Parts: sequence; C-alpha cells; structure tokens
Amino acid sequence: MFRNILVGAVALLTASVYAENVPIYGTVEGNCIVVPDTTGVYGVPASDTLSTAVADGGVLPVVRYDVIIADYYKAVITTPTAFSESPPLNDVVNWTGSAAVHEVSDAGMSAYDTGKVEYNSTTEFDLTIAGSTWFEMDSKAEYGYDKPFPGGNYTAMVEANCIAK
Amino acid sequence: MHRKIITIILVLFSGYVSAHSWTPTYPKFLPSYMDKVVETEMTLFNKRQDVEYYRIDVLDENMNPVIFASANKIYKVGYLQKIKILIFLREESLIDAVYICSKSMFIKSYTSLNRVSSRICSKIR
Repeated sequence: MFRNILVGAVALLTASVYAENVPIYGTVEGNCIVVPDTTGVYGVPASDTLSTAVADGGVLPVVRYDVIIADYYKAVITTPTAFSESPPLNDVVNWTGSAAVHEVSDAGMSAYDTGKVEYNSTTEFDLTIAGSTWFEMDSKAEYGYDKPFPGGNYTAMVEANCIAK
Repeated sequence: MHRKIITIILVLFSGYVSAHSWTPTYPKFLPSYMDKVVETEMTLFNKRQDVEYYRIDVLDENMNPVIFASANKIYKVGYLQKIKILIFLREESLIDAVYICSKSMFIKSYTSLNRVSSRICSKIR
C-alpha cells in the first residue's frame, strides 16, 4: 500500500515538472545577402569598344540583394574602372558604367531607381523595403582614340557592397 | 501578406546556391581577456561556389582601414561552410572604427569571366 502511494506521489511530481511551459525564443536579426545572379559578358560592337549592353551583343551582370529587415542596409555598386585580366594595353581605357533596378520582390522597390545616388563609377541604393532586389550593371570600355583592343581575354570586376546604415 | 512572406522565404532559400552572408549587422564589442583590448565575434557563411577566400577589414566612416587583430586577415572558407571570426580592437580604436567588412577574393588564375565581387559591411554600435 505504502509502496503504491510512493509511486503515485513520484509520478505526480514528475508530471508537475513536465507541465511547465516551455518557451520558444526567437530573434530576427538584420541580414544582407549578396547573390551574384548572372555573369556579365562583354560584347564587341566595334574593335575599340567592349560593352555589356544587350544591343552591343553583351550580357548585363545581375546581382541580387536580399535584406530581411527594412532600412538596415544600402546597396553600393561599383562598375569596373580597370581590367583585372587583359592583354598588355599601352593606351588609356575610358570606362563608363551604371547600375539600375532589374527586378523586385515588392512593387515599392521600383522607387529605388529614382532615389539612387551616383558618383564616379558608384551607385548607391537605399534598401528601405525588406525582400529581394535584382540590380543590373552596364559597363563599357573604349580604348584610346579609335584604337582596336588587342586580341585576348578581358576580365573586369563589379563590386557589390552591402553596407549597414 | 502570407503570399509576400512565402515569396521572400523562397527567394532567400534559392539564394543559398550562391551567396555570401556576414552577421551580425550591428556587432557590439566587449572587453577581451587582454587589458584595453575589446573583442567581437562575427559569422561568415560562404554560399558562393566560385569563392573560397574572404578578406576581413575594419574601416572608419570614410572606408579607410583601422588597425585590428584577428587570427587571419584572409580566411579560406569552403562552400556552405560557416566560420566564426574573432576581431580584436584597441579600446582607443573604437572611436574611429565604424565598419567590419568581409569581401570575396578571387584567385587570379580562376577569373576567366566578368565576375561580381561581394562585400558586406556590418556597423559597429
């Protein structure tokens, strides 16, 4: 009898422990993810010009920015101002470039283009809405004064920065 | 609303194929085991198959370098590998230091296409 009472008491005490509320904690942290989406390709519309523009036979590089919390980051995109790999060049290369919104996961992000800040070869976008934004970059290199680019491989880098505000 | 959240989640998960993440967004420095030296821990997650190396920088508000200490300045991080990086700063450098950044680095011989270099900067608060 006493043994049964003891077992019952232990079981009840154990049950009281399991009946405790179990909290679930979670933290949503700001996070920026930079995803290179499309590799750019230079087209050669003229012997002295390399261009990523579709009309020039090129492919525009595309980068996706994912931000989890709105208004934590800005996208700072710098188009190339030099080749990271090329045949020896003995004249000046004139660079032009720009960045623009390509696709958005929220219609409000289309306004990023109107609010962008451009300086030198850099474009800044304020990422004020959570979600994903695809940016496309245009890059054009013109060699000397109507000089043909020497034959060989040319590589240039786009720098996609995500800077906390 | 649910549709929007699902879209964002799907997009974020699809990004796991090729991306680079650097957290926390706003790191806080705490006293370290050394006198007058503070430390913080950052997490680098490499989801870029085309990148194996990342450079760490501590910068001021004009993006000029600030002296810091870490086990390495360039870290080798395999695809889908997550590493924790301890950053040490002198207490006096906290006045200047604003950003802690990680930047993807390419091996020159591998760069045969026009690539995108990614850099993510967290802000010290």
